[in-house]
Amino acid sequence: MRIIVCVKAVPSTTEVKMDPVTNTIVRDGAQSVVNPFDSTALELALRIKDERGAAGEDVRVTVLSMGIPDTERLLRDCIARGADDGLLLSDRAFAGADTLATSYALSCGIRHLGEPDLVICGKMAVDGDTAQIGPEIAGLLDAPCVADVRRLVACDGTSLRAWRGTDAGVELVEAPLPAVMTVAKDAAQLRMPSICGVRASLAAPVEVLDVAGAGADPERCGLAGSPTQVVRSFVPERASGGAWIEGAAAQQAEQLLQIVEGMGL
Amino acid sequence: MDVPAAGMKGPVQQGCTLIRHLTDEYDDYRHDESRSQGEAQSISFPTTEDEVRAVLRELHPSHTPVTVQGARTGLAAGAVPHGGHVLNLSRMNRCLGLRRDDGGAFVLRLQPGVILSELRKYLKAKAIPASGWDAASLQALGELREAPEQMFPTDPTEASACLGGMAACNASGARSYRYGPMRPHVVSLRLALADGDMLALRRGEVVACGRHLELATELGRRISLDLPGYTMPRAKNASGYYVHEGMDAIDLVIGSDGTLGVITELEVALMPVPPVMWGVSCFFADERQALDATCGLRDGVASAAAIEYFDPASLDILRVQRERSTAFSALPLLADDARCCVYVELHCGDEREALDALDRVGKVLRDAGGSEAATWVARTELDRESLQFFRHAVPESVNMLIDERRRTDPAITKLGSDMSVPDERLHDVMRLYRETLAEAGLESAAWGHIGDNHLHVNVLPRDMDDYRRGKELFGAWAREVTAMGGAVSAEHGVGKLKRDFLKTMYGEQGLRDMARVKLAFDPAGQLGRGNLFDESLLEGGA
Amino acid sequence: MSGLVIDAERCIGCKRCVRACGSAGIEVRDRLARPTAGCVLCGACVDACPVDAISIVRDEPSGGHDLESYRDIWVVAQPCPDGGVERVSLELVGRARELAAPRGCRVVAVLGEGSGAGGDAALALVRAGTDEVLRCRDDRLAALDTEVHARWLVGLVEERRPETVLMGATAFGRELAPAVAVRLRTGLTADCTVLEIDRATGQLQQTRPAFGGNLMATIVCPGHRPQMATVRPGIFPVPETLDDALSPLEAEALRARVSEVGLAPDVAGRVRVLERESSAAGASIADADVLVVVGRGIGSKKNLPLMRRLAELLGAELGCTRPLVEAGWLEYRHQVGQTGVSVSPRLLVSVGVSGAIQHLAGIGGAQAVIAINEDPDAPIFGASDCCVVGDCIEVVGELVRLLEERG
Repeated sequence: MRIIVCVKAVPSTTEVKMDPVTNTIVRDGAQSVVNPFDSTALELALRIKDERGAAGEDVRVTVLSMGIPDTERLLRDCIARGADDGLLLSDRAFAGADTLATSYALSCGIRHLGEPDLVICGKMAVDGDTAQIGPEIAGLLDAPCVADVRRLVACDGTSLRAWRGTDAGVELVEAPLPAVMTVAKDAAQLRMPSICGVRASLAAPVEVLDVAGAGADPERCGLAGSPTQVVRSFVPERASGGAWIEGAAAQQAEQLLQIVEGMGL
Repeated sequence: MDVPAAGMKGPVQQGCTLIRHLTDEYDDYRHDESRSQGEAQSISFPTTEDEVRAVLRELHPSHTPVTVQGARTGLAAGAVPHGGHVLNLSRMNRCLGLRRDDGGAFVLRLQPGVILSELRKYLKAKAIPASGWDAASLQALGELREAPEQMFPTDPTEASACLGGMAACNASGARSYRYGPMRPHVVSLRLALADGDMLALRRGEVVACGRHLELATELGRRISLDLPGYTMPRAKNASGYYVHEGMDAIDLVIGSDGTLGVITELEVALMPVPPVMWGVSCFFADERQALDATCGLRDGVASAAAIEYFDPASLDILRVQRERSTAFSALPLLADDARCCVYVELHCGDEREALDALDRVGKVLRDAGGSEAATWVARTELDRESLQFFRHAVPESVNMLIDERRRTDPAITKLGSDMSVPDERLHDVMRLYRETLAEAGLESAAWGHIGDNHLHVNVLPRDMDDYRRGKELFGAWAREVTAMGGAVSAEHGVGKLKRDFLKTMYGEQGLRDMARVKLAFDPAGQLGRGNLFDESLLEGGA
Repeated sequence: MSGLVIDAERCIGCKRCVRACGSAGIEVRDRLARPTAGCVLCGACVDACPVDAISIVRDEPSGGHDLESYRDIWVVAQPCPDGGVERVSLELVGRARELAAPRGCRVVAVLGEGSGAGGDAALALVRAGTDEVLRCRDDRLAALDTEVHARWLVGLVEERRPETVLMGATAFGRELAPAVAVRLRTGLTADCTVLEIDRATGQLQQTRPAFGGNLMATIVCPGHRPQMATVRPGIFPVPETLDDALSPLEAEALRARVSEVGLAPDVAGRVRVLERESSAAGASIADADVLVVVGRGIGSKKNLPLMRRLAELLGAELGCTRPLVEAGWLEYRHQVGQTGVSVSPRLLVSVGVSGAIQHLAGIGGAQAVIAINEDPDAPIFGASDCCVVGDCIEVVGELVRLLEERG
């Protein structure tokens, strides 16, 4: 069985600061981390590997990312935790990708790796919040998509069963493999590497491919392949400061009451 | 001499506006984390050294007892009042200045109420509140911004402790294995004496001649004293006054539990954060393997900065609470065969060095009968937080268990030991704990700083009979540990709760010597009454 | 050649771009910013530059897209289990009407439901102001299977060529929209909170929160049609409709605006639903209309009852920050923020919350925020409409007293 887990490097949000002059986020070289949702995705893959492995099946878990060369560090960390190998799509021509170009590149990476039984993505990335990559990859691979998995019940190589979130609550679904699954962050907690894992991650293969190597159409990658463009970003007006309620506690409370009443509460 | 008795209803002085009646709204200030309750008639919250001195001058003529409080996170009741006045320093929480010493290290000058977690935040952000700083300090702050990230190495589990309190009890933590306790990191301090006079102490300036010490206060009073004659153990120690021949005077004040004076200002040395910090939790099938591994780590892994232990009972309690409480559901899941855990933290110059250290840890594990696979290696911030959460969750979950039992019997409290022994007695002291606990049929959970042979063995009483027998057992341990050359309190200090152990350790004469030292600083015996020794030893004054 | 371009005349070498970069994609040498091989064209430096010296230049899309042949604004309606449509679908119809007016185009709702569905959903859409409802009644659409819906919509879009397609950013919409966009190879902007339209080109200006609401980004899709967006529920008002009973003639006229469309016979879902559980009603902070959120600044667990009382008096649910959950004061389901629940109440009263960015990430959807905190520099005030600096126990105590007096 072959499982591919898509991971994204995101800025470590514990460090986010704002530049007071330009009102933009200061990253200050803060090291990127694996998107927490993708960590959960990896853990689910590793659980399948543990379970099927115990039953004597050979399960291979590959982590896949598109990013700058430094992202290899994160892929190796995933390997330290139990993934078998990694593939990094890294090329200037992948830069500037929106979700469509990103999912296209990732689908090329997946095809390059062969026919996977299961692709697992985090439901969304904490820096973008779009939740589009998983369903788009499913579309590109023409595979069924099970989104927002809260609990994986079973995955036996021919089908998967999972509880997933819906607008009305949760539902238990079954999908045939190959399939794409996106996972909620609290569906599992990623395990820590062991000493053996750390050692293995140093030697494990991480393939790095450019656009040509991935067999991708350059017109559909990066900036060129992105239909959407960000034309402006700004700090929401509210952040520029609200009204300050002055006075002693009793007076402040008085004013608050008026405001609350003014809202019809 | 005229010393108001504890609990006496004394009039609150009118002269100093800082002094308030200790009414019910100040109820919190009658206790600390030790959960023992005290009593006092008045309280003050000074914000400057001058205010501290004004309060002390006001209280001195009537010889009113004064208990100094910081963040009240102590576990030995050192900050629990014993009648009289509570001098609470929590509002003295400003950073006063920064300089570089001759070696280039940053030295931060602080008020005693600065909270450790706040200090860490400042250092992480490289942004120390600097209002009112002089030009030289601001210049040093500029240099700090450009320099590699700095840290203050002392890391008590309770990060809401304040620096003054940490100095007063000579706090330590997991990393004290490598960096020592608070003491070596305090460069200077200012001490307000009971009469409002000041003593300024700077490391290296005043040292004892043999066991004799001569000090001069700012108002010109000379304090001349003979240090106690006891020899301190060769183990991690926070029991009684720190003394040795030719010692630095500042070290006498550090760890004196608020009995000599009020720390109004201190300077602490910072150090650069090690470039690579990895945490490794190693799991074992039995305790013997964990002890062997500890010795192996001590001998074979030079970059170990902390070596901690969690015994089978504490891991079992953690497993239960993880299932029960949502607050703990984010804990990493323990494997079923993980009986006990040794946590080692590696501080290295670069990643190659860390990988090399990791290999050494692996070899130690295999030699001790453990497995490299049964480990958690935390290399990322998130994983480190996760392991820290795990380590803090152990005492937390034991407290929760005790809280449950208190519902049926409110008199029950946890009994926690804090003793240490020299390296070569680790296996012996563990055998002592295990055999005597089994004999007494008591439930327990043990964890702590095994690298320093310093475990917190906690008796978990099911009823008052257990509680009583637990206390007896601790008394017996104090004797045995002293005989092994260990310390009755390695970390928490003696405060009011461990005075009897101190007597076991240093004997009647040792206590009398200590009382003599105290009276040289505080002739009326006003400060920190009930800490270290029974007040009967202070009768008669200096 | 597309890429990051730096205007050497304007650049002052201030290094703000370097600090804003998450991928070491830019450096300053000789007081001039220069992109490095690490640049991923994320645009962070463009925004960070105080002198507008940085821009991302892209090649004009090469040929072929006949943008002019696309017309109308479509709203993909989401049926709800009771036979009606989700509120957000009606909100979108309302907004689409406003956008369509200057553009002079029609508003079309697309509705896929089971064969047994009544006419309520279509009627509600018509009454909300759609010019036409394209309805497909087919049991394969009943289960809200995104693959079936996507393939149906893709066929319909390719045939009828709408200029704009809007969906609610519900769980279903957020899964369906990318499934459609990828098959159409067009752009999609998720979770928009503001939608404007360029009258001449019909280009949609889509504004959405990024970084958990700390930044807003306006996004366009210049070279591809349809342009697609999902929109958060509760942003736009539901258009007012007359509740009066319709005369037979009126009803007939409205029904005439509903056109039936088919679903290709080869379309089939592959995901089977075995069991459903609806979430427990109420007590969920995610859906709360009013929320009281407490942080470490309330000092002690013993102040929680006062906060509960405040919540009770305001008809609010109680939320909290992560440290309180970690301290065991409240359960995880109360946790607001990046690692907890994202909330979007009408009013959020924040008590003793300093406002770590992870927390702010979860309250970006709140319409109004009142913050009470003792520290005037607390970041929470930057995200608040009403800022109260003071002892939060005192202020809340007073407020509770006033609310109780009011009865």
